[in-house]
Amino acid sequence: MDGYGMQNQIACIRRSLFDQGYLDEQFIQLEELQDDANPNFVQEIVTLFYTDSTRLIQNIELTLNSRPINFSKLDDYMHQFKGSSSSIGAKKVTSECAVFRQYCAAGNAEACIRNFQHIKQEHAILRKKLEFYFQMMGQAAVAQTR
Amino acid sequence: MNPSNGNGSMSTASSSGAWDGRDQFPAGLRVLVVDDDPTCLMIFEKMLKACLYQVTKCNKAETALSVLREHKNEFDIVISDVHMPDMDGFELLKHITSEMDLPVILISADARKQVVMEGVTYGACDYLIKPVRIETLKNIWQHVVRKKARNTV
Repeated sequence: MDGYGMQNQIACIRRSLFDQGYLDEQFIQLEELQDDANPNFVQEIVTLFYTDSTRLIQNIELTLNSRPINFSKLDDYMHQFKGSSSSIGAKKVTSECAVFRQYCAAGNAEACIRNFQHIKQEHAILRKKLEFYFQMMGQAAVAQTR
Repeated sequence: MNPSNGNGSMSTASSSGAWDGRDQFPAGLRVLVVDDDPTCLMIFEKMLKACLYQVTKCNKAETALSVLREHKNEFDIVISDVHMPDMDGFELLKHITSEMDLPVILISADARKQVVMEGVTYGACDYLIKPVRIETLKNIWQHVVRKKARNTV
């Protein structure tokens, strides 16, 4: 595929991430921060988010599995998770977190457990999509240097 | 920090190196940002640097407080997340308002009115909701200028 074709494909992938509601304008804020001094800033932030949120997910999992469930602790973890997912523009993940916090406030263990599966799914789906997107960008960058 | 540029307009009543907002306005504003979330902290740092501010970051309120105590007069404004383990943003705010004369902006993913009210009541000069946009951070120098103006009355 020629350079122009690749750029086109990448633009399509990016647009679909927004159109399908995976990302919101906060992601654009990150893109606008990227410059020559930090040419991989967006990818670095996303990598950092996934490293840190994996730890949070494990903590939430442990808390959900303990009896009785410590809803206050759960809310703390989810608050942080929501804060960092919203900061990278992870739209679906963030809205699932908001739903979780409502169930948590109501002390609804079953709904929390169910909703947490959605959160993990969205978290994983976005990760795959972003990894693919960054991979394509990496390939395009290499193609441009030829 | 801010070396005197020799044209005489840098002198103020406060110690040399203080940002008085005239020369590189508002570049060089000395910001301490505190957040235990590494993703948010890295984004804040980049945004604040893009605003041409001088940024120091901390991931713990305790550390931030030590830094502020050891380096008095070397910061113009503090931005702190509310929700942190150990010492939270409210407690940090209380320490800062009682010990130092620095404007403090609180940040949180929590938009509930009563929490915002608490922050403002305790003396936060602003309360921002995550996710924070760079446009918002571009305006924080106004809190520093406002505080200085009030102090010189």
